Amino acid sequence: MSTPNTAETLPTTGPAGGAHASPGGVAVLECDDVCVHFGGVKAVDGISLQLLPDTIHGIIGPNGSGKSTLIGAITRLTKLTSGRLLFDGEEYQSSPASVVARKRVARTFQTVRLLPDLTVLENIQLGADGRTHDEGPRPNLLKRLLGKQISPAVGEAIERTNLQGFESFYPSELSYGTQRRVEIARAISTGPRLLLLDEPTAGMNQTERAEISALLQSLRTGGLSQLLVEHDVQMMIDTCDHVFAMNFGKLIAEGRPKDVVQSPQVQEAYLGRKWRDHA
Amino acid sequence: MSSFYLTNLVLVQATITGLLLALSIQVPIRMGVFSFAGAGAYGFGCYAGAILVLDYQMAALPTIVIAGLASGVIVLVVGLLIAKLNGLYLAMATVAFCLIISVVAINGGELTGGSTGRYGVISDFTMGHMFAIGAIALVLVALSERGKLGRRVDAVREDPELAASMGINVRRYRLVAFAVSGVLGGVAGAMNILVRSAVSPLDIGFPLIVLALTMIIVGGSLSWKGAVIGALIFTWLPDLLAVVGEWQELIYGIIVAIAAVLLPRGLYGVYVDTKRSVLRRRRQEATDKATAQTPPPTSTGDTTDIDRLAPEMEAQR
Repeated sequence: MSTPNTAETLPTTGPAGGAHASPGGVAVLECDDVCVHFGGVKAVDGISLQLLPDTIHGIIGPNGSGKSTLIGAITRLTKLTSGRLLFDGEEYQSSPASVVARKRVARTFQTVRLLPDLTVLENIQLGADGRTHDEGPRPNLLKRLLGKQISPAVGEAIERTNLQGFESFYPSELSYGTQRRVEIARAISTGPRLLLLDEPTAGMNQTERAEISALLQSLRTGGLSQLLVEHDVQMMIDTCDHVFAMNFGKLIAEGRPKDVVQSPQVQEAYLGRKWRDHA
Repeated sequence: MSSFYLTNLVLVQATITGLLLALSIQVPIRMGVFSFAGAGAYGFGCYAGAILVLDYQMAALPTIVIAGLASGVIVLVVGLLIAKLNGLYLAMATVAFCLIISVVAINGGELTGGSTGRYGVISDFTMGHMFAIGAIALVLVALSERGKLGRRVDAVREDPELAASMGINVRRYRLVAFAVSGVLGGVAGAMNILVRSAVSPLDIGFPLIVLALTMIIVGGSLSWKGAVIGALIFTWLPDLLAVVGEWQELIYGIIVAIAAVLLPRGLYGVYVDTKRSVLRRRRQEATDKATAQTPPPTSTGDTTDIDRLAPEMEAQR
């Protein structure tokens, strides 16, 4: 990686954070000085950022920099030590995870978490089951009781993630990459306003990564905000509109993907000072 | 009425009450709650039924409804008290609840009849009532395994964190599991006293936990069908093994041990796994057939040198 001298032009994040608010863009999610400490370990240490609608955001950083913990904090599966979380301007840092999910915050996990006794179709329907924002007539009681109702959002998610033909498969019969796609389909089927993807392309080949990148870009409509955690820097450059870089629980840079990956702080975080100077 | 039915009426009654008892333990296990409070509710239901009929001359159906609802409320309160416990600690707390019911039964004075218990409980309860209540309970539990509710229950059991991230209130589901377990146990206990007409402290307590757990371990813990299989086996097996006399307990124990070691998902689990394996094989055969019928790729810009040269090499050979 070359080191052009662009670091000074980067909008690095200070305590105020949220440096990329676009004109007229109201943040879907705002983190204000969020801290998650485990005893003496400061996994997330004073992060402030904003996620905008119709935008794909990314978080990069070395292992252990606090990326997944931040996603856990945003979804309230990980307890905050301090700080504020706002969704559509409304504070929710004391709400339980299930309430946050009902605000249409969907996520995937770092490791695949599918229910082994449900088929692909049922796993994806589990996501659509939580939809509370659908309009139109509800299916009749008998169909609901007998479990024969499949939501239209499920078919759409299957199509978007190229899972046609896998509907009756169980997770144990699928490759790791396909299981990942089922997880993404489940998250999409919830009809999210904020989609948090924790290493969604781990275990996938280049073709599959490109497909997922194209999928995420196709979702950049209807006010959906996306936050992507990935180690594949090229994918982040190709996919994201705005990237945050983290190290030791702090934001060290943010801005356009290419600028961020070329910033000296980010290169130092990944390679160390000695190797950055040689790079 | 067939002579087989009349001869085995007591076993039929025991199968239905045993099934509801097994379901009272299975419903919370399906939601990942390792609770035996249903067995305590069964004991409570037995005594509540006896007291309501003997002391208040209540008819059978209101007796069952009151005993079931009261058991449900009590077990729900227990659930609230131990909501933060999990796994073995939760199991031990619910075993303690069952033992408390036994202790209260022994020391309850005239109300519970002390160590003698209560007897002479005669009411208008019929086998028709019993079949109807058993069928209703079974249908409701079966419906809870289907559709949206079934998927959500699976999620709560398999991965509470995932369930929460899908908008499911895991705590509420677990509390409902306690309440349902209490109702099922209470109804089973009340029906038992109405058909047996007597109850003593020896009829409730720890042996009930062992019986219910055995039924769902051998039958299968993740479906009502497993509970039915277990209830049938362990109600009728002792009768069938009567011919072996004192070896009965040993054979019973061997069956349970074999099931626990070799059939971790129970007999119903064997059926489910076999069905899936057959489906998988059929799918593989269909894929193989489709692959075999696909014509070999024609020469395109994407083919490798070896692909292009292969026909020529073949011709030269």
